[in-house]
Amino acid sequence: MSTLAFPQTPRQRRAFAKLVSTEIKLTIRRPRGLIVSLGVPFVLLVIFGSIPATTQPSAKLGGISFFNLYVPTLLLFVLIAVGLVVLPQQLATYRQQGVLRRMSTTPVPPAWLLAAQMTVALGMAALGIVVLLGAGAGAYGLTLPHSVSGYLVFLLALVLTAVATLGLGLCVAALASSPQVAAGISGVMFYLLAFFSGLYVPLQEIHSQLITTISKVLPTGVGYTAVQTAFAGHSPGAEPLLVLAAWAVVCSALAARLFRWE
Amino acid sequence: MSTPELIHTEPAPVAAILSLPTAAPVIEVAHLHKAYGNTVAVEDVSFAVHGGEIFGILGRNGAGKTTTVECITGLRAPDRGEISVLGLDPRHDGSELHERVGVQLQHSALPDLITVREAVELYASFYREPADGRELLATLGLAEVEHQRYKGLSGGQKQRLSIVLALIGQPEIAVLDELTTGLDPEARRDTWRLVEQVRDRGVTIVLVTHLMQEAERLCDRVALIDHGRVIALDRPAALAATVSASKRLRLRTVDPVPDELFWHLPGVSGVEHHGDELVVAGSGDLLSAVVLALHHAGLRAEDIRPETASLEDAFLALTDETTHDTTNAETQR
Repeated sequence: MSTLAFPQTPRQRRAFAKLVSTEIKLTIRRPRGLIVSLGVPFVLLVIFGSIPATTQPSAKLGGISFFNLYVPTLLLFVLIAVGLVVLPQQLATYRQQGVLRRMSTTPVPPAWLLAAQMTVALGMAALGIVVLLGAGAGAYGLTLPHSVSGYLVFLLALVLTAVATLGLGLCVAALASSPQVAAGISGVMFYLLAFFSGLYVPLQEIHSQLITTISKVLPTGVGYTAVQTAFAGHSPGAEPLLVLAAWAVVCSALAARLFRWE
Repeated sequence: MSTPELIHTEPAPVAAILSLPTAAPVIEVAHLHKAYGNTVAVEDVSFAVHGGEIFGILGRNGAGKTTTVECITGLRAPDRGEISVLGLDPRHDGSELHERVGVQLQHSALPDLITVREAVELYASFYREPADGRELLATLGLAEVEHQRYKGLSGGQKQRLSIVLALIGQPEIAVLDELTTGLDPEARRDTWRLVEQVRDRGVTIVLVTHLMQEAERLCDRVALIDHGRVIALDRPAALAATVSASKRLRLRTVDPVPDELFWHLPGVSGVEHHGDELVVAGSGDLLSAVVLALHHAGLRAEDIRPETASLEDAFLALTDETTHDTTNAETQR
């Protein structure tokens, strides 16, 4: 991996801004990524929000509505779809098409393109999360965190999960020899990680020692625990946050080592 | 093999010749060596490129051309050897080098959905003093497709856009790798004219090609690379001349001519049949000798063409592919 010199001069910042704005335009022009990562969870939010039973507080779920427990799952859906599906696909395609190689002959290092794509990915994820929370609270009575500190812990849990999944996505992009291979790897990983975010069955409903153990290791398992507890206004404790931070650091370092520009 | 389409040696542009002795080298390569694992891509390559010239790097596929330019442009680190480009070391002064050297590479492209205009504006933002993108697009005949997406462009348009992007930073040197590969003959000729226009703006051009015709038409000087070594370096015409001490005549006659007719003629070194053509190789005043011999025998030639040795002949002779084409081997004698 070439050296990651960050944009410093005004001219470099302009170049980086141009890269980001171009990537945004390109992202809008290929709407599949937006539909998968933002459209699908939004539709799920509307469906579950419209079922009266799911929005009622349930004694079995500790006085919280199923809907309130499921929204963190949808937030994680956005993160893994963006980080694990959209980003690696795009990077693998750029590498195969020689876009990164072309950039490495300009004064701007191709790492900036990678940084621009990650910026756009994070922006997409943030947009998706804000829309889900806004629609959930506005239309379906979603209970948001009550305090500023509650929001901060929630935000921290989200950011750590986002970095961990983006790092994982970068590893996929680094290892995949073609966009097709990337799609295959991210497909399998997406279903696995989505399962442990409680997408198909709420994790609270699964009483298996094995599943619980795995969920304490996988980024979406701990991510769900951290995001959901913080969202409910409690402290998730240090353990899930540390596991997430470890994923973020290990995956980013691995991706930086493995990434090829051509 | 020479083809009828082949343009024969033209004199190098006067301006280029005049500028050669005075212009200082802008690129100097000394004993470049690069291997990938056990495969040696470049064995030992040295040359210097002067300011303002079109310098050709010519060789077969796999001869080591692309690796050489990748080392010059800082995309690869050489195993051994010294490279200086505009006084910079490509390994250490990458971003400064890329400000001043525009590169058009084989197998590199743009995102499918980016428009021509967006690509030009994006790349313009990378450079200190970018050229006027609109003017460049107009010059290269891309103004009317500036809102089209990259995916929808024809091969020729993509190639021209890659030239625009190579020039957008107002480089002092432009490296063009296999510029016209995959283009139809007309687009190829248009691109050649463009390259000459770019040189006329004062940009030094390093042209990598495996097409003899391209090198012969465009280049002021050519380095022939074979098996990772420079086997010859000179003006295309001079290279061709090294193998043209002997000449060849191609002729077609109304009635069959016995080969023996020419054997005793002074200077004739060989006679061959190429389809319905007869090729007489030799030296001296070959044309007069052959015409006279035909006349004495009462035979009439329909068509007699003296053949000038081309860069391709030189290339084949120098890369000793003698088995490939016996007449060329004969020419060499």
